[in-house]
Amino acid sequence: MKKLLSVISFLVASSAAFAQGAHDFKINEVYVATHSCCDSASCKQPGYVDEYGQAASWIEIENTSYSTHEIRNCFVTINPTVLDKDMPAPQREKLMSAIPAGDPRTSLSAKQRITFFADGHVNRGTLHLNFTLPVGEPFTVYLFDGNAVDLLDSVSVPALPVGSSYARISGDEWQVLDADKVTPNAPNIAYHNNKIQEFKEKDPHGIAMTLMCMGVVFSCLILLFVFFHIFGWAMNRAAKLARVRAIRAIHEKAEKVVEMAKQGTTETKGIEIETYAAVIGLALHEYFGGTHDLESGILTIQQTHTTWADKSHELRTTPQHHQAVELKK
Amino acid sequence: MLLESVSTMDFIGTKLADFLTYTGFANVEWANIIMIAVGAFFIWLAIKKDFEPLLLIPIGLGIILGNIPFKAAGLEIGLYEDNSVLNIFYQGVRLGWYPPLVFLGIGAMTDFGALIANPKLMLIGAAAQFGIFGAYMIALAMGFEPNQAAGIAIIGGADGPTAIFLSSKLSPNLMGAIAVCAYSYMALVPVIQPGVMKLLTTKKQRLIKMKPSRQVSQTEKMLFPIVGLLITTFIVPSGLPLLGMLFFGNLLKESTKTTRLAKTAGSALNDIVVMLLGLTVGCSTQASEFLTLATVKIFALGAFAFIIATASGVIFVHIMNIFLPKDQKINPLIGNAGVSAVPMAARISQNEGLKADPHNYLLMHAMGPNVAGVIGSAVAAGVLLGFLS
Repeated sequence: MKKLLSVISFLVASSAAFAQGAHDFKINEVYVATHSCCDSASCKQPGYVDEYGQAASWIEIENTSYSTHEIRNCFVTINPTVLDKDMPAPQREKLMSAIPAGDPRTSLSAKQRITFFADGHVNRGTLHLNFTLPVGEPFTVYLFDGNAVDLLDSVSVPALPVGSSYARISGDEWQVLDADKVTPNAPNIAYHNNKIQEFKEKDPHGIAMTLMCMGVVFSCLILLFVFFHIFGWAMNRAAKLARVRAIRAIHEKAEKVVEMAKQGTTETKGIEIETYAAVIGLALHEYFGGTHDLESGILTIQQTHTTWADKSHELRTTPQHHQAVELKK
Repeated sequence: MLLESVSTMDFIGTKLADFLTYTGFANVEWANIIMIAVGAFFIWLAIKKDFEPLLLIPIGLGIILGNIPFKAAGLEIGLYEDNSVLNIFYQGVRLGWYPPLVFLGIGAMTDFGALIANPKLMLIGAAAQFGIFGAYMIALAMGFEPNQAAGIAIIGGADGPTAIFLSSKLSPNLMGAIAVCAYSYMALVPVIQPGVMKLLTTKKQRLIKMKPSRQVSQTEKMLFPIVGLLITTFIVPSGLPLLGMLFFGNLLKESTKTTRLAKTAGSALNDIVVMLLGLTVGCSTQASEFLTLATVKIFALGAFAFIIATASGVIFVHIMNIFLPKDQKINPLIGNAGVSAVPMAARISQNEGLKADPHNYLLMHAMGPNVAGVIGSAVAAGVLLGFLS
């Protein structure tokens, strides 16, 4: 049973860990090429180009976590029919573009992005999807997990102006970025550590930091103090109750023995009643007399005069060691 | 034949001359000599004065090792050269995984019984962390950036591993100086603290006798690491690496079922990590990186931080005593132990207590704030990391 539970726990933990990794992928930016010649060699539109030097529509996906995850075998599509929950997985897979395995670029480290070209030419490599993005009309991009059933992320893209992209700025906030602010394979907002700058400007003397940090340190230790104060009180109380119960039991037994002694007729299995009384009496004496399993740890030594080391009782009051040394020589 | 021997001699001469350019004598600078002398001084302090030999001997030798001059010729021997053995050892400091391992050992060796028996002593451990933030304010005033100031200020926690952990995250360029400063002042706790303690207490206050602590059950000891972990990391998740390992080590000890693991964590593993940590921290003080004005400022700030932390603990005990009943007064000499130099600070409380009254044993009382200081400094580091990273 224990082994079964362990195996189940392990499986649950493993599946949770897998799901957590996949759910960290978010669609980050979508760009629609505003012409239809992207699949021809004559395409001269400026912008982010693929390995063939051609600008095409693209979808950028970001690993939003702080650990490395694989995006291979996930699916991307703009076909809304895949939202039908009754549709079997093999049929879904046919309607979506799979991200192939075997390319190290699909392993995304923390906060890293990958850009897929929606040009309908999967034969051009890993980063090419089997569909194109509609020009001048809204659509929705869906990102599915490797089982083709779990939706990881989706975004409804409005009809975009020429050269613009639709980008996630923070959390669920999306914004249309102008042509000069489009950021393929780069963060949508410039990153810099605002925190340090903010503290430098608003707390130049460190007073706010001191108050906040000391407050947090005290909060932690006060909570611990309160918990263990109450818990310690409860433990003490429980110990006292246990002691009272033990004393009460001893008293009850002692009373019974006294009763037995008075009656003089009780069954004693061959042991004299006085022996019973003596044993219980001794236990009571030990309990109240200071012999316990747990001692206070205080040692009190009373100095009393004895003659065992009294110089006046020694044979020689001033031992002459030098003589002994000479004798040894 | 003669020509051949001449060319051989030339070859030997050239190679020997080339070899000489690689020697320490050819590359030595005054800064190296100064740092080697500092390393030797640390070793002398450890051996002759018995100042924390477990820390100062590895650091001292590390300083010497890191300052042996050599020609930069890509031999992969220096601490800052990629793929050198010392560089591999140094990754534990640079990436901050030695400190949590040290905390694992501290947890496995620490008995939190004194703290659980008298939980109000936890507050002294919290108050002493003011040393960190006092130093933070001074560092800002001296012109350091907030992240650098935080890295330097954590020296006031008197906790070497925490100082290394935080500075590796917030101010990696100052980490060598901060680490050496933190460990040096930890070793000098017996020199710094007694004066401050005497200055802030009267003879009468030093004579206060505290009641013996109550017996703590094993259940309480087992519960402490779990509750401690939950409370502290729920409030300050950024302190997870340090606090998690501290309480994990303590649970290994107190669970009574993993004695073997606790023994390893507290002895062999801890010793290995301390050796590597001390040596590489010492090594990181290469003269070119270390002998700067910033280092001098860091050492000055470190001293301030220790003094402020000690004073804060002692003053806080005075404040607590105002509110405590007469028979429950706390001896202010245990206030210094709020810094997390375990068990050095508690030993100082004991020694100073015995100087005032040869029958007043404060060690077990001082262990309470001392271990609370470990938790407090780890929490403080977590908060600073959360605010500034």
